[in-house]
Amino acid sequence: MAPLLELSGVYKAFGGLLVTSKLDLVVEEGEVVSLIGPNGAGKTTVFNLITGVYRPDEGSIRLDGRELVGMAPHRVATAGIARTFQSLRLFINMTVQENVTAATYGGTRARMWQSVLRTPRMRREEREVREIADDVLGFFGERLAGYRRLQPAYSLSYANRRRLEIARAMATRPRVLLLDEPAAGMNPRETAEITELVARLRDERGLTILVIEHDMHVVEGISDRVVALDHGVKVAEGSFDTVARNPSVVEAYLGRVEEPA
Amino acid sequence: MDFFVQQLVNGLTLGSVYALLALGYSIVYGILKLLNFAHGEVYMMGAFAGYFVLIGLGGPASPAVPVALVLVLMFLAGALSAGLLGVAIERFAYRPLRDAPRIAPLITALGMSFFLQSTALLLFGADVRSMDTSAMISPSTGIHVGPLDISLVRILVIVSAALLMVALMLFVGRTKLGKAMRAVAYDREAAEMMGVDVNRTIVAAFFIGSILAGVAGVMVGLVFDRVWHLMGFTAGLKAFTAAVIGGIGNIPGAMLGGLLIGLAEAFSAGYISSTFQNLIVFGLLILVMLVRPSGLLGTPALEKV
Amino acid sequence: MSQVGVDEWVARAEERRERRGGPLGRAEAAWDALPPVARLVLFAALVASVPFITDSDFVIRVGVNTLLLGMLALGLNIVVGWAGLLDLGYIAFYGFGAYSYALLASDQIDVHLSSWLAILIVVVASALLGLLLGLPSRRLIGDYLAIVTLFFGQIFVEVVVNLDRVTLPGSDSPIDITGGPNGIPGVDPIVLLGFEFLTPTDYFYLTLGVLVVLIAALYLVDNSRTGRAWRAIREDPLAASLMTMPVKRLKLLAFVCGAAVAGLAGTIFAALQIGVFPRNFETPFLILIYAAVILGGAGSIKGMLAGAAVVGISFELLRQPSDASWIFYGGVLLALVVTVRPWRVLAAVLAATAALGLALHALLAAVWPEAVAGAPRADWALSGAIDNWMALPADPKAAGNWAFVALIGVVLWLTQASRRTRLLVLPLLLYLGSFVWENRLLLDPSVTRLLMVGAILIVVMSLRPAGLFGAKRIEVM
Repeated sequence: MAPLLELSGVYKAFGGLLVTSKLDLVVEEGEVVSLIGPNGAGKTTVFNLITGVYRPDEGSIRLDGRELVGMAPHRVATAGIARTFQSLRLFINMTVQENVTAATYGGTRARMWQSVLRTPRMRREEREVREIADDVLGFFGERLAGYRRLQPAYSLSYANRRRLEIARAMATRPRVLLLDEPAAGMNPRETAEITELVARLRDERGLTILVIEHDMHVVEGISDRVVALDHGVKVAEGSFDTVARNPSVVEAYLGRVEEPA
Repeated sequence: MDFFVQQLVNGLTLGSVYALLALGYSIVYGILKLLNFAHGEVYMMGAFAGYFVLIGLGGPASPAVPVALVLVLMFLAGALSAGLLGVAIERFAYRPLRDAPRIAPLITALGMSFFLQSTALLLFGADVRSMDTSAMISPSTGIHVGPLDISLVRILVIVSAALLMVALMLFVGRTKLGKAMRAVAYDREAAEMMGVDVNRTIVAAFFIGSILAGVAGVMVGLVFDRVWHLMGFTAGLKAFTAAVIGGIGNIPGAMLGGLLIGLAEAFSAGYISSTFQNLIVFGLLILVMLVRPSGLLGTPALEKV
Repeated sequence: MSQVGVDEWVARAEERRERRGGPLGRAEAAWDALPPVARLVLFAALVASVPFITDSDFVIRVGVNTLLLGMLALGLNIVVGWAGLLDLGYIAFYGFGAYSYALLASDQIDVHLSSWLAILIVVVASALLGLLLGLPSRRLIGDYLAIVTLFFGQIFVEVVVNLDRVTLPGSDSPIDITGGPNGIPGVDPIVLLGFEFLTPTDYFYLTLGVLVVLIAALYLVDNSRTGRAWRAIREDPLAASLMTMPVKRLKLLAFVCGAAVAGLAGTIFAALQIGVFPRNFETPFLILIYAAVILGGAGSIKGMLAGAAVVGISFELLRQPSDASWIFYGGVLLALVVTVRPWRVLAAVLAATAALGLALHALLAAVWPEAVAGAPRADWALSGAIDNWMALPADPKAAGNWAFVALIGVVLWLTQASRRTRLLVLPLLLYLGSFVWENRLLLDPSVTRLLMVGAILIVVMSLRPAGLFGAKRIEVM
């Protein structure tokens, strides 16, 4: 079966600085793949390349066979790739609800005049949008529910903001979800919830997930496969155990594998 | 050929003035990411200061001291008053808004520009003041060789502007304060953590930019003989454009942009029509924005995602 | 699991603090609780009653101009408040709309289209102009856009002033397209459904009607995918684009819509004035529109209307010295009431100011009579009191100028001083300010107006960067 997301020979340099070199990466549908590596290894760059923020100097990125290189970011998003950000990028002054409903833009088609006249099509789309919002916010149980939905995003706790970002990404109805350090800054209990969350996203929602993560306990708990990068080059690939024991990986991290709980 | 050279000289003179003004915009933008709309008014006040000193010293026809000293004093007055005004504006209007939404200092700058223009109108009246330079320095002094017909004043302007720009480049490149300015422009927080006194650096930036504007104001008063309350607005706009064309925040870019605009204006006024010279400058701006949105010498801002 | 009850109360603490307390806060809360249609109808009814309350043509004109300013504020709000773009040449679209209508409905080029057609063409043309300006600007980040649009606004007036001697290729004699500095007089009145709009009152209702429709349309857009996308772009354009929103296209759309609204307002303005003149579209007016938008707190429809009302009415009143004095002293009093607490301190300050003035007046009358020989410039209710309280030199200009400079110095000093010093110096400051007002500012009302707009913008931004009626915003640097 053809992989859902495939990067081949992707190369990107900024001026003289090489960020990604000859990267081949394959993600099958329904998989959870973790991308690990020390800081500066180029992991977020890979996300930026996939989502169209940067354009690779060489190589191709295909989603279900469809070439993504050269597509504007909003088109890549509509094609089915959504992401969260290493440092949160919520629409901070908009409400929780609005953060999510704004992201449904690509899935709706009502033009401005139709919005003003409130045509049946527009009203139908707005109903669908509300359903999507109920759906993705409901995925997080009580945390983003009830009165919280109408609160501005800046009033949320850190963990809830991270959840909201995931909910917002889900609202774009993606096929592939890119999570950039979803457990960053979380305490052990919240980290365990993230692990559970990623599994649910794959099992309940059928999402294919590519995760950047530093916390090895999380990586161990969620991954079907792990890919290790160092200085923009893939140094290891395989199951968590295989990669964790790989000497180049250990060397790249120099002892980072044994992370405190 | 004569006409061409004449326009060239005009362009260089005008360009020098625009370059000096553009530098002020660029330096402040580089450090604070703020478009200082009031900069044009600082230039205008500098021109008035120079004018009042001239009058105070007895006027262009019969100065109480030698002409060279008059000029020096005028430039000093223009530079210092502009410098102090610029520093005061930063201190009282912009500093409280360092962490406010981006549009707030912009609106304040617009309001300040208006306020200063109106203040000048109120205090000095609407009459256009003339420095009557030809009464002070005979127009026949200067270089009159072949096609070149440059009056002394213009030579003075071009040469001193060039000297000031060289001095600025040296300052920014070599001195500690200059390095501090570059550091703050690059990353304010990091610079602060490295021990740079950010407030002092910002004040220095405003002071330097404003001094240059004040000098430019006096120059314009001497060369073009018109000092009035609205002079800052149009000149400011063009100098701003020059800074943007060169790549805002970029010092050599501001100089390049200033010269380009000055030459464009002189040549279009000479060869096409003076009525549409502003339109042509605007066209130049659009062209550059289309081809190189971050300016000729500017580096595109890389956003960390 | 958290206790939702307690949790909610804590989370909403911020909300409660934000809501202004007291009767004003309750009124605002009550207003917000009404359904949108009711609010719009109430607003329309209130404004529509104005021509019934007053007979004065002047008041009606102020009203129309304020309503037009409201339209412009709403249009600019689309660009600045919703999409977060900085259009400093907005006034050019207004001028373009007015001039285009004038060309299509006057003797200038001898075209007299029916109003429907002319207005439609002008709105579409304005939208196209917005498109033309917006297209090369798509790639520009905020500040660059500001420069380009600012220049465009300047160019517009210049071009218009110079298009009165245009020699078309193929013809010998130049034609006058825009009337140059004198503008285009004799613009046709608007005729709709057989009704000819002639008097200011007619235009008052026309503008109100158009404004109401505009408010409704904007409200509907705000609560649709386009409105959400615009607001998302204002927050974070990159994140928005990664969440499926086509940022460049949406920015362009905002620009175009803003331009169309300004063009529409321009047509009404041209018909109302029965002519268009270049000086109507110069930068001071742009500053006014921005003042309305900023004071109103960019982003909310009701803020725009409030801002336009405050700015429009104040600006008109500042035209006449007698009316202007109400604005000045009223404004100062309002500022004192809001900032100086408790009441006793405020009363003490006012008493001290009065005493200081009277004492100084008496002293000067005895020692230096020229200093009080003049008469009050403004003829209004409190002229008599002012005459006895304020020093009014026979030749006020020089003294006024120096006092003005001194006033600025004192204000700057006080911004750095402690609260106690401020309170102690306040009576002197008030006296000095009134001195400058009575002796200098009232002499040149046209300059004073602009001066005060500039000063108010500076002060408001310094105290409440979100605007007077704006909502709290967090900005990520």
